[in-house]
Amino acid sequence: MVSNDKEKDLQQPQVLSIDDDYAIIRQFIDGDSSAFQILVKRHKEKVRNIVYVTMNNSALVDDIAQEVFITVYKNLKYFRFESQFTTWLYRITVNRCKDYLRKMNVRKIFSPLEEGTEVTEYTTPAENNDVSRIVMDAISKLPAKLRMPLVLKDIEGFSYQEISETLKCEMGTVKSRIFRGRERLKEILQPLERELL
Amino acid sequence: MMSNDTMNRELLSAYLDDELSQSEKSEVEKLIQTSLELRKQLEDLRKIKQLTQQVKRIPESPFFETRLMAAIEGEKVETKRVSRWLPVTALAIVTIAVMVMLKFNPDFVDQLWDQQKEAIAGFYKENLQPVLYAANLTNDDIFNFAFNNELPLDNSRKQYLLLGYDDSGKEFFEIRTGDEKVKRKSYNEFISAMNLNEQQKESVDSIIGSYGEALESQVLVNDKNTVAINPNLWNYRKAIFADLLVAAEKLNIKGFNRIVPAGITDNEKLRVVNAMQSLKTSPEGQYIFVTPDSVFAESYQFNFEQYEKELKELEKNAKKYEEKIKQFAVNIRFDSTFRHFAVNEKLPRNFKITIDSNICRVDIPQNNIAEMRIPDIDSIGPLIENATNNIHFYAYKIPKVERSKSGIKIEYYDNDSVHSYEVKLNTLNMDSLAEANPGFDLYRLDELKKVEPFDDSMLAKYQFDKDYYNRYFSEDDLKEQMEELKRELEQLSKEQQNWKIRVHKEVTKSPRK
Repeated sequence: MVSNDKEKDLQQPQVLSIDDDYAIIRQFIDGDSSAFQILVKRHKEKVRNIVYVTMNNSALVDDIAQEVFITVYKNLKYFRFESQFTTWLYRITVNRCKDYLRKMNVRKIFSPLEEGTEVTEYTTPAENNDVSRIVMDAISKLPAKLRMPLVLKDIEGFSYQEISETLKCEMGTVKSRIFRGRERLKEILQPLERELL
Repeated sequence: MMSNDTMNRELLSAYLDDELSQSEKSEVEKLIQTSLELRKQLEDLRKIKQLTQQVKRIPESPFFETRLMAAIEGEKVETKRVSRWLPVTALAIVTIAVMVMLKFNPDFVDQLWDQQKEAIAGFYKENLQPVLYAANLTNDDIFNFAFNNELPLDNSRKQYLLLGYDDSGKEFFEIRTGDEKVKRKSYNEFISAMNLNEQQKESVDSIIGSYGEALESQVLVNDKNTVAINPNLWNYRKAIFADLLVAAEKLNIKGFNRIVPAGITDNEKLRVVNAMQSLKTSPEGQYIFVTPDSVFAESYQFNFEQYEKELKELEKNAKKYEEKIKQFAVNIRFDSTFRHFAVNEKLPRNFKITIDSNICRVDIPQNNIAEMRIPDIDSIGPLIENATNNIHFYAYKIPKVERSKSGIKIEYYDNDSVHSYEVKLNTLNMDSLAEANPGFDLYRLDELKKVEPFDDSMLAKYQFDKDYYNRYFSEDDLKEQMEELKRELEQLSKEQQNWKIRVHKEVTKSPRK
């Protein structure tokens, strides 16, 4: 659980971490490949968690997060130091999740007549009354465009500005989508209102 | 149009996130005080936010880094091969940097390569720059080079180098100027005709990409209107083509057989492998220099590694030159530069030069490219023509879309067999589509088959023509959804191959063994 206060605490040292990331990236570009491991160590848990909550499937987390970091590794030497490293990193993360969600969607929509049961279910039904699980299942029912900003805001504690940069959309859109996401979530959780709300 | 109520509730949500300006905040607080309804809504939003914040984080993975680093190690060979392909933005900077060096920093080049200033040749060898580096060669360009003998010489694609053989089999090259858009066999068509999935395409990308660096130093230009061309370009062209076909055969034998029905013999494959190794390891000693004074062939060493290192330094400062550079471009003005060749009797006669209004052609006598160090791979030649014709034919697969009992049935041709898919209406997750346009009728998809495919895009195989739904629907959201569906269909086609062909991993690791 991330409280508002904690978010603010976390935001403060971010200024430092930008500089730190830049220095580390420069080391990497200059040929010190061990610098990459420092970046991974620093950001992997946030990346993994974004993937986890967005995909609602723990089995996929490490595979997707790995793809994200491999993409970063391959492209890091072209990093232009014009934005925060994390903005770029989270954008790759979000885009990779979108790719997977698309894949999952198409498998749900189309089932090959000849190939049998190739369809992979990715949503996990709420099996118990664990609030976290129920809310995650509810979030996974949101369309991706509402889900992403909500996850970044309420679970990862991003500011609207950071979300707008990560998702490459206007601040007004972020605001509206977070609101619509919450409204939709409320509708989805309505049947459990008594227990949850 | 957004109602006042929605706008207020949106503001409440942003208020909750502490994302309002001071004035908005005061306004919202005033509204909350006067409206019970708004207070209730704020409370509801707060509860939802608190709930989402209760989502538990995934436990840390102690092995993540180890696995990641192992995966990266495994990919390193591939990374090296494709790493030459910079993102577009980075490339723009590189291009500017090359221009900067050419225009503002001619002296530094002297430090880069051996002093070769003997007589006039030395003069024209000064400050030679790899023009193809500045031309931002893409995989498409390299593919077109292999299939069409053409390489762009500048970033704006206005000048091309065309390689060819005359009737007696002797090489010639032409520098052409003009915006002429020739219909070319595109890389996408090749991928589509070969039925390659994303991973297989990456494998082909890396093969093509691996030639990028080598090609870049094959054509050099300088500010004295010299063009230096390495005769090995003719060999590269064949080698890239052959390498692609050999890889393609491994990746998807059925697709390959359609494109090259005659196949490639083991002997030819061996020759291709040898040729490639030889090409990539041999020093590029020989260039043909086309200068305003003469045309001559001489040995020349271009130190690409060092060049690149210097370039990297310069890139950092390239931005400040940007404005000045906009006016500057490498331009081989053969009309004024080379025109006198046609009448100048003193010029060496071993090169035959033909100048037209927008073409400069140089015919190369056989003995001038005698130094080719690669084995003969001419027997691959006839395959090229055959394959290029077949690629277009197989590039597009138009599916049949029919209404069936339980939904929509889609059939399409792939790997010489017909595949059927059924869109089951009861499992159809089209919530978002329906939300975007409640009147949307899925069965209208049926009409999509009436749309003519566009000729040069593999997207056409699904016949989701943008104009079609522009005509019928105006809502952006719906269009977005349709685009997404189109992408999903494409993805499906690619994934479907994954289920059948599982050799790509092996091939990716070692594409040419």
